[in-house]
This record gives sequence, C-alpha cells and structure tokens, in this order.
Amino acid sequence: MPRRFTTLLAQRLLLAGVILLAWWIGAARLPSFVLPGPGKVALALVSLWHSDTFAQDVAATCQRVMLGFAIATVIGTLLGLALGASRVLARFFEPLLTLFNTVSSAIWAIFAIIWFGISDATTIFVVFMTAMPLILTNVWQGAQTVDMQYVDLARSFRMSRTRILLKIYGPTILPHFFAGARLAFGFGWRVSLVAETIGASSGIGYRLRQAADLVQTDQVFAWTVLLVALMLLLEGGALKPLERWLFRWKFPSRPAPALTPFPVPQG
Amino acid sequence: MIAVPETLPDALLRAGPAPALETAGVAKRFGAVTVLESIDLTVRTGEVLALVGPSGCGKSTLLNILSGLLAPDAGRFTVGGVPAAQIADWRRIAYMFQEDRLLPWRSVRDNVAFGLEGTNLSRAARHARAREMLRLVGLESHAGAWPHELSGGMRSRVALARSLAAEPSVLLMDEPFSKLDPQTRSQMHDELLRIQAGSGMTVVFVTHDMEEAVVLADRVVRLAAWPGRVIDVIALDRLARPRVPTSPAVAEQIRVLRSRP
Repeated sequence: MPRRFTTLLAQRLLLAGVILLAWWIGAARLPSFVLPGPGKVALALVSLWHSDTFAQDVAATCQRVMLGFAIATVIGTLLGLALGASRVLARFFEPLLTLFNTVSSAIWAIFAIIWFGISDATTIFVVFMTAMPLILTNVWQGAQTVDMQYVDLARSFRMSRTRILLKIYGPTILPHFFAGARLAFGFGWRVSLVAETIGASSGIGYRLRQAADLVQTDQVFAWTVLLVALMLLLEGGALKPLERWLFRWKFPSRPAPALTPFPVPQG
Repeated sequence: MIAVPETLPDALLRAGPAPALETAGVAKRFGAVTVLESIDLTVRTGEVLALVGPSGCGKSTLLNILSGLLAPDAGRFTVGGVPAAQIADWRRIAYMFQEDRLLPWRSVRDNVAFGLEGTNLSRAARHARAREMLRLVGLESHAGAWPHELSGGMRSRVALARSLAAEPSVLLMDEPFSKLDPQTRSQMHDELLRIQAGSGMTVVFVTHDMEEAVVLADRVVRLAAWPGRVIDVIALDRLARPRVPTSPAVAEQIRVLRSRP
C-alpha cells in the first residue's frame, strides 16, 4: 500500500513537472499578455492574496454559490421525492425537466440580468437553475430504485410511513442524491463565474472579467490556479472522504472475521 | 387505544386452552379470484406447523393473514384467543421472508436491531439485544460486518436473528430457507429447532419441500388450490426427534406425504 502511494505521488509530481515545463517553454516564446510565465503568475497570485478585496470577492462568490446550491438542494430534493412518489406527477412534469436540462446556463444568465439586474440574485438564480434539475433528476431516479421488498420488511415490523421514509427511502436515495449534489455543485460553481462576469460588481467572476478587460492575463491565470486549487481541496479534503464514509457499506472492507462456520460462498 | 396490547403476550405465552392462532371460515379474494375459501386452522401454542400445497393454494396469503398484514374478507381470526381486530401490537408475531432482505447499508448488528427501532427500547438496549440474538445464531463475531461480506447461510441466520430480536411468541416463515443449498438448509433447520425448543415459540412455516415439512413440523397442514382450502392435517408428533431425512421412519413419512394427491 505505501509503495503504491509513493508510485502514485511520483507520477503526479512528474505530470505537474511536465505541465510546468511546457508552460515555461511556451511562455518564453509568446508575449506575456497571451501567455504569462509561471513566475509572473506566481507574483500575481501573491499580490492577489494581499489585495484588499480578495477575501471579499472570494466570500461573495462562495456565498452566492452556497445560497443557490442550498435552495436548489432543498427544492430539488422535495420535487424529486414528489415525482418519485407519484407516477402521474412524474409523467406530467417530465418534459419540463428535459427543457430545464437543455437550456444553457448562459441563457439563464441573460434572463437573470433582465429580471434581477446587477445583483446577488442574478448569480444565485443561475446557480439554482443549473443545480436544481440535476438534484431533482437524481433524487427522482433514486426514489424509483427503492426496493419494495425492503418496504414490505419494514411493514412486517409495523413501522410507520415516516419511519419507512427515513429508514428505507432515505438510505436508498442518498447515493443518488450525493452524486447529483456533487455534479450540481461543480456545475453551479462554474456557471456562477459566468453569471458574475456579466451580472455582478464583486466576486471572482467580476474580477476575472475586469482582469481580462485590462489585459491582465497574469491575474486571470492567478485566479484560475486559485480556483483549481480550491476545487481540488474541496474534492479531496471533504467530498471524497465523506462519500467513502457514507457509502462504506458498498466497498469491500477488511477481510471477514475468522469464524466462518458456513463456508458456502453464495450471492 | 385499547388496553389489549399488555394482555396479549401473556395470553400468547399461557399454555392454556387458547391456541396461539386460530382461524374459522377465513376467506380471501383478489378481484374475481377466490384465493382462500373458508379456512379453519388451529395453531397450538409452542408447536411447529407446516403449510404445504401446490402453487396457487394461497399458503402465502394465509401466512400474511396470520401475520396481521392482510385482512381476511370473511371469517374469524384470533391470536391467543383475542380477536385480531382488538390487537394493537402485532410485534409479537414475527415474519420471515423467503429472501433474507438484509439492508445492504446496515451492519449485521444494525440489521438485527432494525425491527426494534419502532419500539421504545433505547439505542443501547437495542444494540445489546441485537448482540444477544447474534450470539444465539452463532454470529456474534460478525456484528460489525456488512451483509455483502457474508455467505448465504450466514445471511439467513442474520435474518433469523432479526426476526427473533423482538422476542416473538409466534414466528411465521414463508419458505425461508428455499434459496439455500441443501447442506446449509439442513443446518438452518437444526438451528431453528434448537432455538424453538429453547424458547417455546410457536412456528408456522410455508414450504413446498416435503422433506423440510417432515423434518421440522409437529403437524403438516395440506392445502389444495383453486380455491385454497385445507385438505387434511397430518400429525407427526409420534415421529422421534431429531429427524434425519435418511432414517427409515422419516424417509417413509416423506414418501407418504409426497405420494398423497
């Protein structure tokens, strides 16, 4: 295990090295407003870090994404459960879901500008419209995979409807919900920047556009590096461990304890 | 609502004149199909009763009615002498399905404790009870394992432990071991009889395997199909235990049962 980890680490470091080298070579041959070199970007990153508005911008974007995502989670889950519970409802609303999924986030952003102008609501709306259908679809699909045999089992123990919902539906839907929420968060995060470039006066997206307008390409690169680092941290530091813990029952874990009186391998 | 739940266990445990379960004229229709037609059945307290018959004879439907999960259209059904309509707490009657139905997202211990979660037992008490039940079926060391790590026989024993956790007076089983291989099934039979002998629990099970019926049951109720009705009841009390299918007396009994129309 530790050896495999060392190999993996070496591979990752090599990849990073190759990318850095290519970047450095490319930057040496191109004007810096097209491709600034690693050193210049590092400097931009440091000055960004120390700028007055940095914390505010990051906080503003995070707040908008979180709010849009939170509303999308609540409404998407409730609607997904409703559609999962009623086939009539599901058949009636299904076309609407396809519609939602085909409309581009850029179109939502334009609508948001028309309806909400330059405000937080614009970004929140775009995140919501992108994330909500994803969560809804996954929860709905999860609700359809609930095994009626387990529901009957719970009934045989005389469990109430609420308890069946919590103890059978909940755990069945959770992996689907998690997959949907993860996807929705990733998309929501990305479209929030698009929305901010046209519909905000603060936040990471706004700064990106400002940097682009002023041809501060090194700033754009610095923000990009920062965002990638942030997402990797969130993914590896929170989401992956959470997922592994939540769905540990799916993974083959430690070898079974010694006592196996019935050595009959069966499905 | 009614004060009956408190008196029910006593009524069930009392080896008095009231049978554990009794039906009189019980009938059930699904649409135009009469699944059960006037079933008169008495299950004595502490006995092991087998329900056998061809498919379509309504044995599973009868079991569902006995469990209180399905209401009959007509007839009388009493549990320990108490009319079914007056019983508020049915947990004293456990139901074991054909499949083990272990919840894959729960550890073995939490699967066994599952049925106790509707009760007012504390979390610690539920876990203690689950461990006790796992000890009973010899799987104490697997309490922390996940269902997918177990063999078919072990899963079946976990399902049995789960059914027993609420300390039922009556255990109903719908072909519970039919998906196991013969060797494991026979081990489960021994396990069940050992536990039954220790607790004095009443057991009613459905099977289409005459060997299983003869090995386990004190009495065998034979049902006919279309519509489901009782043909006869065969008493096996005089057949000595433990019963090995290969012993002449047991084999003869199995042969007799199989040859009957």
